[in-house]
Amino acid sequence: MPRRDDLHKILILGSGPIVIGQACEFDYSGTQACQALRRAGYEVVLVNSNPATIMTDPETADRTYVEPITADTVTSVIERERPDALLPNMGGQTALNCAIALGEAGVLERFDVEVIGCDLDSIRVGEDRELFAAAMRDIGLEVAASGFAHTLDEARAIADDLGYPVVIRPSFTLGGAGGGIAHSKRELDQIASQGLALSPTTEVLVEQSIEGWKEIEMEVMRDAAGNGIVICSIENLDPMGVHTGDSITVAPAQTLSDDELQRLRNYSLACLERVGVATGGSNVQFAVNPTDGRVIVIEMNPRVSRSSALASKATGFPIAKAAALLAVGYTLDEIVNDITRVTPACFEPSLDYCVVKVPRFTFEKFKGTSEVLTTRMKSVGEVMAIGCTFEEALQKALRSLEDGHTGLGADGTATFDEERFDELVALPTPERIFYVAEALRRGWSVRRVAKATGIDPWYLHRIADIVAAEATIHRLGLDGMDRDHLLAAKQLGFSDAQIGWLCGCKEEVVRAVRKVLGVIPQVKTIDTCAGEFAAQTNYHYLTYEDGGATEHVEAARPRAIILSAGPNRIGQGIEFDYCCVHAAYALHDKGYETVMVNCNPETVSTDYDTSDRLYFEPLTFEDVMNVVEIEQPEGVIVTLGGQTPIKLARLLEEAGVPLMGTGSDAIDLAEDRDRFSALLDHLEVAYPPSSVAATTEEAQRVARSVGYPLIVRPSYVLGGRGMAIVYGPDELASYMAEAARVTPDHPVYLDAFLEDAIELDVDALCDGTSCYVGAVLEHIEECGIHSGDSACCYPPFSLSDTLVQNVRDITHRLALACGIRGLLNVQFAVKDEQIFVIELNPRASRTVPFSSKASGVPLAKLAARVMAGETLASLPVPPEEREASYYAVKEAVMPWARFPGSDVRLGPEMKSTGEVMGVGASFPVAYAKTREAIDYEMPAEGTVFISVRDADKRAIAPVAFSLAQMGYRILATRGTAKTLRAAGIACEVTKRVGEGHPNVHDVLSAGGISFIINTPHGHDSHGDGALLRSEAASRGITNVTTLSGATALLQSLAVLRGGRLSVCALQDLAQQSSGRD
Amino acid sequence: MNLLASEGSQPQALLALEDGTCFYGRACGAMGEAFGEVVFNTSMVGYQEIVTDPSYAGQIVTLTYPQVGNYGVSQEALQSDGTALRGLVVRDMCRTPSNWQSVGSFPAFLRDHGVVAIEGVDTRALTLRIRSAGAMRAAISTVDLSPESLVARVAASPVISAHNFVADVSPREERVIPALSDALRARKEAGRPALRVVAYDCGEKRGIEEGLAAVGCEVVAVPFDTPAARVRSLEPDGVFFSNGPGDPRQVTQTARAALDLLGTVPVFGICLGNQIMAMATGADIEKLPFGHHGGNEPVMNLLTRKVEITAQNHNYGLVFDSMGPLVPELSGGEAAHVRDLRHWVERGIAPVVQTPRLGRVRLTHVNLNDGTPEGIQFLDLPAFSVQYHPEACPGPHDARYLFQAFVRLMDMWREGGDGASVSHDYLSIDVREGRPHHAEA
Repeated sequence: MPRRDDLHKILILGSGPIVIGQACEFDYSGTQACQALRRAGYEVVLVNSNPATIMTDPETADRTYVEPITADTVTSVIERERPDALLPNMGGQTALNCAIALGEAGVLERFDVEVIGCDLDSIRVGEDRELFAAAMRDIGLEVAASGFAHTLDEARAIADDLGYPVVIRPSFTLGGAGGGIAHSKRELDQIASQGLALSPTTEVLVEQSIEGWKEIEMEVMRDAAGNGIVICSIENLDPMGVHTGDSITVAPAQTLSDDELQRLRNYSLACLERVGVATGGSNVQFAVNPTDGRVIVIEMNPRVSRSSALASKATGFPIAKAAALLAVGYTLDEIVNDITRVTPACFEPSLDYCVVKVPRFTFEKFKGTSEVLTTRMKSVGEVMAIGCTFEEALQKALRSLEDGHTGLGADGTATFDEERFDELVALPTPERIFYVAEALRRGWSVRRVAKATGIDPWYLHRIADIVAAEATIHRLGLDGMDRDHLLAAKQLGFSDAQIGWLCGCKEEVVRAVRKVLGVIPQVKTIDTCAGEFAAQTNYHYLTYEDGGATEHVEAARPRAIILSAGPNRIGQGIEFDYCCVHAAYALHDKGYETVMVNCNPETVSTDYDTSDRLYFEPLTFEDVMNVVEIEQPEGVIVTLGGQTPIKLARLLEEAGVPLMGTGSDAIDLAEDRDRFSALLDHLEVAYPPSSVAATTEEAQRVARSVGYPLIVRPSYVLGGRGMAIVYGPDELASYMAEAARVTPDHPVYLDAFLEDAIELDVDALCDGTSCYVGAVLEHIEECGIHSGDSACCYPPFSLSDTLVQNVRDITHRLALACGIRGLLNVQFAVKDEQIFVIELNPRASRTVPFSSKASGVPLAKLAARVMAGETLASLPVPPEEREASYYAVKEAVMPWARFPGSDVRLGPEMKSTGEVMGVGASFPVAYAKTREAIDYEMPAEGTVFISVRDADKRAIAPVAFSLAQMGYRILATRGTAKTLRAAGIACEVTKRVGEGHPNVHDVLSAGGISFIINTPHGHDSHGDGALLRSEAASRGITNVTTLSGATALLQSLAVLRGGRLSVCALQDLAQQSSGRD
Repeated sequence: MNLLASEGSQPQALLALEDGTCFYGRACGAMGEAFGEVVFNTSMVGYQEIVTDPSYAGQIVTLTYPQVGNYGVSQEALQSDGTALRGLVVRDMCRTPSNWQSVGSFPAFLRDHGVVAIEGVDTRALTLRIRSAGAMRAAISTVDLSPESLVARVAASPVISAHNFVADVSPREERVIPALSDALRARKEAGRPALRVVAYDCGEKRGIEEGLAAVGCEVVAVPFDTPAARVRSLEPDGVFFSNGPGDPRQVTQTARAALDLLGTVPVFGICLGNQIMAMATGADIEKLPFGHHGGNEPVMNLLTRKVEITAQNHNYGLVFDSMGPLVPELSGGEAAHVRDLRHWVERGIAPVVQTPRLGRVRLTHVNLNDGTPEGIQFLDLPAFSVQYHPEACPGPHDARYLFQAFVRLMDMWREGGDGASVSHDYLSIDVREGRPHHAEA
């Protein structure tokens, strides 16, 4: 079936902001879809609220709406654009849900929009537990048996029916609280009665236990002709019980025989047929009993997913691109395999290497929450590594995580909790893999570890081999190892750093010896077909082989290596990848052979289409140097990928590698507080009083001279890791005790904290002789809230032109004085009309994508051109000072609900996972759109609970007054109520939690509160406030923790009363701003 | 197994190719030497099926997936009682397998069966070498570790086409494989009798026998040189020509029997069987550069226009344009042959040729990777054959429907009685219907 000519304009929905469980893999898939459909001649309309995506670049789609993905907004877009079809399976669950809502509201029918790529009924079958179970039984497949119980007797009856053990899952409790596995009637009675009590609906699900079974995923595609193919099998190293997003996973499956795999293949294809997936990619998950091979279907997702992104990167088969083409009528045999270009996409990739994915966690940011991994996903990112063997890939993946490990231990980084050692081997946590290795090191048998963990013995034997090799390397020493030994060590994935640690010598020495002996990595190619056909793309990984056969092809054009950002984590996410992708585009256009290095499978940068050459490798010094030595680049770009490549700048320069753009001395100048302060003094630019301390005593001394409150942080961190505001000596002492562990080599900075100052973010470009300020962003939340967690607005809405001009001037002077060549970001605080410089980042910042989209100036692309030697004068940029007839707001998205037990509040340490953008004619309109985009409840009526700290009491009155005017009831604690009544605002008083019942927590739990304004005092993180914030987060109730946030919220509530907001395409924005001169 | 993790020392081994390329590695099977034609197989699993497949007689097989032996060995995976290949090349051999069906390790299995094997080889580099230079003679040795010497001895070794490997692997005696009782019961309920298939066993894989038994056929496997008269005396409902090793031009007596039998009884052929049936029509056989060995080859059934992902293992293939001139009225009006048969995929036509001896033959299946012929159907007599492996073992089960198609053909023949009344739609079965997916499969 060829391309459908009856369709012309196609609407694609993105997935919105990055949240846990739905991250930038949907930017990768959505971008592929947009590009593929446009290449096929269709006009593409896109809706996505996430500005940090490549898909929302004005060049990616024909019409780009950075608007909330809600039925209302998409209806407006449909009204305006009148698309022929809607492709909803590229934007994760968000897009599917929106499509269903549009269907149910009759919008699709009214505007005659055809859903392509999936069928709304099949989505329902895929999602509804009962419908899915029935469908699977229809085709003879087993699902985990279960039943809902409302009484203990019912639970007993179901358990008797299923047979023990059973899993008990209480409905609607926070983080699955009250659940567990019952192995006996006695345990059932205990767990089920507790679960029933905790469940608000007095309901528990009693389910057959398949914990400990193998978890296997099949990535499947189907076309309209009924052809079905399996792209990849993925095996979870962690058995059933840990969310696949939180599991270490391996592709292809390692422990299944052909017979077992083919059965799963047959089942997956049958599952797609039965559920009714019309076309596209799906993911089917199975549990396989390791003792008898029995198979149970867990679930299927009728859309591209995180796993399909991983499978695409693991195999070289672009699932999303193919899915987009299948949706418009092509069949699999009509699509050409991108990599071979002579064979069709209708085949099943064969891998001749092993791929390991390891999730990246950030539990350290959410103190108080449990680190035990469950069926609810908690990781914020992932790395993928490719090696010839599982052992090599695993160790490469672990050093890609960038959390200090240089492999699976043997690097001096391990600390083990001796008291809980046995327990931590058994419990699935982010650290478990290291405990498993350590257990084997300590002489546990594979059998014993397998029994404790449920991990398949095959994996444990491989880890045991790594551990055995550690001992051999240690015994032989560097002198005792010949070429074959070193080669064998590298084939097991040991880094030079690990070998050095085991042999008692430096990494550099290992590297030097290795090169002398000729143990150097070879370039291999990901080609989808295990070498059967020649690859036409340069998608590579490095591995160690005897014989020196390399697939590296000399490039005619000069090479530029771009180091991207590694795994997504809080503080370093998709925004940096975005900048690297732009650099790849710009430098390719300038005539370079662009070479991308990255290890994050979710991103656009690791699409082999993005750069001329892609090396899927860890971003460590060793691995980057390998690529450098192979490619011999004209330059390496380290300033676009966030802190990850910045950390390598000095080492690379010392190794004689040419950096493109800002050099390591300029980086050091900006990051070294003493040097930077001296520079600011020299330039006569104000900054908050600050100092450095290496010990607690020193810190206390500094604090006395600078004065409290202080903002304290370790040096060289991103995302405010370990940053805090301290209000007195006791807090400082306890901070210092913990800070020592964050970065032992670096001291702690103590800055005077400017309370209630307005914070500004400035993104600018500098070519060494001139500077251009791309955007000045005004933060909504005041100073002290991490800039990544604060909402901000372009252009500034409350500052005078003169002040903004001063900010630009200071930025110019700083950029030139530091010797920046490329992007820089400066954070300012404005207090009482005085401008303070908080910090300068000599690199692309998190706000570059937003600044670029809001201002219409593609900063990252321009930066790449500057780094490649162009001057700003020669670049096409609009004047810095120009009038914009619209406002663009960026708001952060917080992951509170995933981390029960941690304090739900904004602070100097960044905790958000993603961001959304809203555009409107006024600030409140733009801000309101961001609220909608994040899917916060914006109740138009009901009760508002207000409790503010003393410092905010004066300012709360006007807010409360407006709320009362809008018809909200106001509930307040006694202190706040006193202030409100004094201002003549009627309100009710409620008890604090400690004051008996009924108190505010009771009201909240009973659903009596619509939203909360609760500004906490500095050190109150364990009191009433924390409890309320946590409860609100779990119930999805809006909770504002800053006064400025409350004001903005109030304004947007007023706007939303005015009805549906109008929508605006990015492509039209450019026309709305004009130069002033 | 990695050098640093292995306790005892593994003996060195050397792999030498005809073109002078050498790879050092370590022994991971039997000690000794093996000479043969080196090929690569891209299946990621199914190593035990591969080494027990008699079609590999005379060959040294390279597995492109690097880690081999992960799930051990089991009785169920055997495709014959022994091994027929000459040697095995892998990157990393597993000595500590894990799977509930495993009864032992793969290297021990190789040792027990006398298969010389080498690990530690850059199998991707070797594969790319074979891809560019073609399948060639090679040797693995744990004895002669001198590259010059071993290369010279490889150059002096016989080429694969010089020997009749079928004679080595075909059984001396006839044997009977009963139909599965479930399948028989199902046929009975449908009012159909049991079927007897006489199979020319040229190295028949067990998977094929199981495939036939599963659709209700009793299989009488006979030696490759059994005369047609003997086959007739067994009163079969159908005759089957199996897969097998080496150059098909070495088994002319089987092709003669095929010529004798075609038209008198329904016939089905797989792999070597397909080549033998083509030879019966007078068609030419060619050797492909490095063959098809793997489990991911896309094949389109031109009758249903469905793509099946197939398991393949062959170095030789029939030359479609040598079968005879096109019949334009049955070939979309075209009279000129094209070399790349994907032309017919694009045109949506299953072209027909007029053969000199056996009437008209239709091209039914085409390989989408390289446009080679993958299946033919005789229009004037009840017979069809495919170049690939519907039994898989290892590989995807998409083409299992072909066993059903054979049964349909035999049933039609029984009921119709002569060639003219047999309709040609027995091959038009949707892949999805043929794919077993029920839990008991």
